[in-house]
Amino acid sequence: MADTTDERIKEISPLRRALIRPELGGMVGTVAVFTLFALFAFDSGMFNSQGVMNWSIVSAQFMIIAVGACLLMIAGEFDLSVGSMIGFAGMMIAVFGVVLAWPMWIAILITFVICCALGALNGWIVVRTGLPSFIVTLAFLFILRGFTIYIPQTIERKTIIGGIRDAAEGDWLAPIFGGKIGQPIFQWLGDMGVIGVFERGTRAGEPVVDGIPMLIVWAIALIIFGHILLTRTRFGNWIFAAGGDAEAARNSGVPVNKVKVLMFMFTAFCATVFAVCQVMEFGSAGADRGLLKEFEAIIAVVIGGALLTGGYGSVIGAALGALIFGVVQQGLFFAGVESSLFRVFLGVILLFAVILNTYIRRIITGER
Amino acid sequence: MTSLMKNLALATAVAAASFTVAQTAAAEGEKYILVSHAPDSDTWWNTIKNGIALAGEQVGAEVEYRNPPTGDIADMARIIEQATASGPDGIITTLADFDVLKGPISAAVDQGIDVIIMNTGTPEQAREIGALMYVGQPEYDAGYAAGLRAKDEGVTNFLCVNHAIQQPTVGERCRGYADGLGIDLGDSMMDSGTDPSEIKNKVLAYLSANPDVDGILTLGPVSADPTIAALQENGMAGDIHFGTFDLGEEIVKGIKDGTINWGIDQQPFLQAYMPVVILANWDRYGVLPGNNINSGPGFVTKDALAKVEEFAGEFR
Amino acid sequence: MADPIIQMKDIQKHFGSVIALAGVSVDVFPGECHCLLGDNGAGKSTFIKTMSGVHKPTSGEIIFEGQPLDFADPRDAMAAGIATVHQHLSMIPLMSVSRNFFMGNEPMKKIAGISFFDHDYANRVTMEEMRKMGINLRGPDQAVGTLSGGERQTVAIARAVHFGAKVLILDEPTSALGVRQTANVLATIDTVRKQGIAVVFITHNVRHAMAVGDRFTVLNRGQTLGTAVRGEITPEELQDMMAGGQEMVKLEGSLGGTV
Repeated sequence: MADTTDERIKEISPLRRALIRPELGGMVGTVAVFTLFALFAFDSGMFNSQGVMNWSIVSAQFMIIAVGACLLMIAGEFDLSVGSMIGFAGMMIAVFGVVLAWPMWIAILITFVICCALGALNGWIVVRTGLPSFIVTLAFLFILRGFTIYIPQTIERKTIIGGIRDAAEGDWLAPIFGGKIGQPIFQWLGDMGVIGVFERGTRAGEPVVDGIPMLIVWAIALIIFGHILLTRTRFGNWIFAAGGDAEAARNSGVPVNKVKVLMFMFTAFCATVFAVCQVMEFGSAGADRGLLKEFEAIIAVVIGGALLTGGYGSVIGAALGALIFGVVQQGLFFAGVESSLFRVFLGVILLFAVILNTYIRRIITGER
Repeated sequence: MTSLMKNLALATAVAAASFTVAQTAAAEGEKYILVSHAPDSDTWWNTIKNGIALAGEQVGAEVEYRNPPTGDIADMARIIEQATASGPDGIITTLADFDVLKGPISAAVDQGIDVIIMNTGTPEQAREIGALMYVGQPEYDAGYAAGLRAKDEGVTNFLCVNHAIQQPTVGERCRGYADGLGIDLGDSMMDSGTDPSEIKNKVLAYLSANPDVDGILTLGPVSADPTIAALQENGMAGDIHFGTFDLGEEIVKGIKDGTINWGIDQQPFLQAYMPVVILANWDRYGVLPGNNINSGPGFVTKDALAKVEEFAGEFR
Repeated sequence: MADPIIQMKDIQKHFGSVIALAGVSVDVFPGECHCLLGDNGAGKSTFIKTMSGVHKPTSGEIIFEGQPLDFADPRDAMAAGIATVHQHLSMIPLMSVSRNFFMGNEPMKKIAGISFFDHDYANRVTMEEMRKMGINLRGPDQAVGTLSGGERQTVAIARAVHFGAKVLILDEPTSALGVRQTANVLATIDTVRKQGIAVVFITHNVRHAMAVGDRFTVLNRGQTLGTAVRGEITPEELQDMMAGGQEMVKLEGSLGGTV
């Protein structure tokens, strides 16, 4: 018995084998998107230094929230409050750092603590009540957005609080979110004429792209962290198990509730990173920040090959999904396509990704 | 698998087709990009689209309209950066949030792109940022003028229906109105949201809870249209003093039948049309008006509604 | 015979006014396959849940390896060496065989002070254990979803054995399987038994029970109708007992006075 093979199991082709990798859809999509824009928008400025930086930043934003959403979705839950959390976190920093004038690093740390606690509360309610996370986090979408408008309205009588950049001047923690790295390299590239320089004004002679924003560094760091956590650690196995079949995981001794609550906290953490980078770059927190970002995160994750039902997916795939999302969104502008058509493209890509995912699941589970 | 490939092929074809269309639509001449802060749902900006399209056609320049789909100002900053990277001859944009937008706009100016600030912002901010000029209606001043007029018409206690609470500049209209009336803004500004039936019901609730309110100010068609419906429902139409910012089909009808006393027209057409014409002449002949252009405020009353009515929602 | 590894003495379990178990006593010896038979609603599930620590008995005693036991939760029972393989709900179809195999018991290796999942070890052990059980995997990364129902049961059993189960409770492992898959699972049970592990095999299929069972206990309406030794009872008799116990008087002789 041990040495005979089951004659009914056909050898699977390398193509099919490659297809069940969750990243595959993302990789194909990335290649397709870049090919398309290289053909139709090459000389539009999309691939000069500024253009590349533009879609890289937008993609990096999506990546940061997609990593959190991806791990949470693999653990079998959704968080619809991500967008509101972004607005809320930004506003907290403004309230603590500007209105109350606390040192910026304290404001940032306290905001992280508050937001992760809110993420834990989200998760706790979900695992305690057994309600769908869809409903619980939908409630938080409204609750957090409401506070984000109410708090500044009450204490400052306005819905945008500025002056964050001034308040963060000289702070040690703020540059980790709002700073840039690699300036000397870019200055050199500018001097060499590889990238454009400002023609006039106070920054004349400086390169138009003067460094890599920490936003991009955070995105890469979170992707690496998420990928290793998911594929190379015990906890990663628990994430898959919790989302694949919570009951079976519990039967095997996996602390499913703990895993889920921690993933809600991680999602909140990612949203807060997004928010801190944003307020540090733009210097103000607004009540409308982060609108609809929760869906954008989920869409990026789904494009990246994760199953909406949980238990399957990849952080690298989600990152590629975010890249596709960002490149398509900004690239359509470059290609001069009417901006309202962006939604059409988004819909087509999403539909395509979901169809592909269903097909993949059938292969994995052997359904016919 | 075959159906999968078919899907892929189809998607690619759709994508390719739209790109081709976009390519052929590109005309010769200068390229100007207008970036607004309005979400897709804000229909008021249709006039702006028509305005730049007409101006572009008349002067022979290529024009584009872009906006953040959800109205997120941080997204708008990215769009301005993106517009800058695509290297147009000029950018026309609003200053919906000075803190957020000053970086991207100054970067565009510093790269030699001409910028005109339209609609939102102040002439002072436009100058600080290095823009050529400002075309629009200073919000506070317009609100103040409306408040003075309403005071003369007997308003003592008012409700300001704000559908864009997240944009501080729009709120300035309410503040100006209150100051014009000479009373404290207090709780008179309502965060109405943008959903028509929500706005209608909030207005109904507020009016029945506050019977001493004798004046209403709405900040645009988004809040005005449901407010008209609310007043018609509770029978206060024509009885309560009703002023509004901006024009639209329903507002024009309201002015005509007496529900609305007057509409404040900031003449958005001019805010879109003038910058394109000015930029084209600046690029071609180096001529530039010496001052900012105030496109409004103008009070539109029942008299002389014909033109407004004819072009409401299109050019007015 | 050696001492029983686990003794359930006069177990009663009440849910409110419902008496699910009304004094059930069962002994299980190492290396035997003890079949627990009963129709639906006979109390089989309640009984094994009590044995595996999910429920606390209302009264009665559990003696495990000579010591009275009081499980706080299933984790305790698992740690003591009582493993349950559920009919469904023990494998995650989307995950690979090796990830499933080590779910909850992941092997770790330290790299630069950080603990990582030791995939090499997990893959090697999984392939080895599967080969022992007669399942040829395409690779350790093959998803459990592609395995047949019988193979999944076998993986679950192999997993429990690998992690040191002394008592293996199998909850209706053959109820949803075809003939050939059932044969495979029964063969697996035989393999496990020969390793000296006590197997508690819950089923309502007399033929499956007769194929591998050493002793048979029939549950009916929360009571045992007795334990019979292999060879002392016919399938027909077992069937009758499960059906209601009206034939008890007639069967008493063949049960050998163990009632």
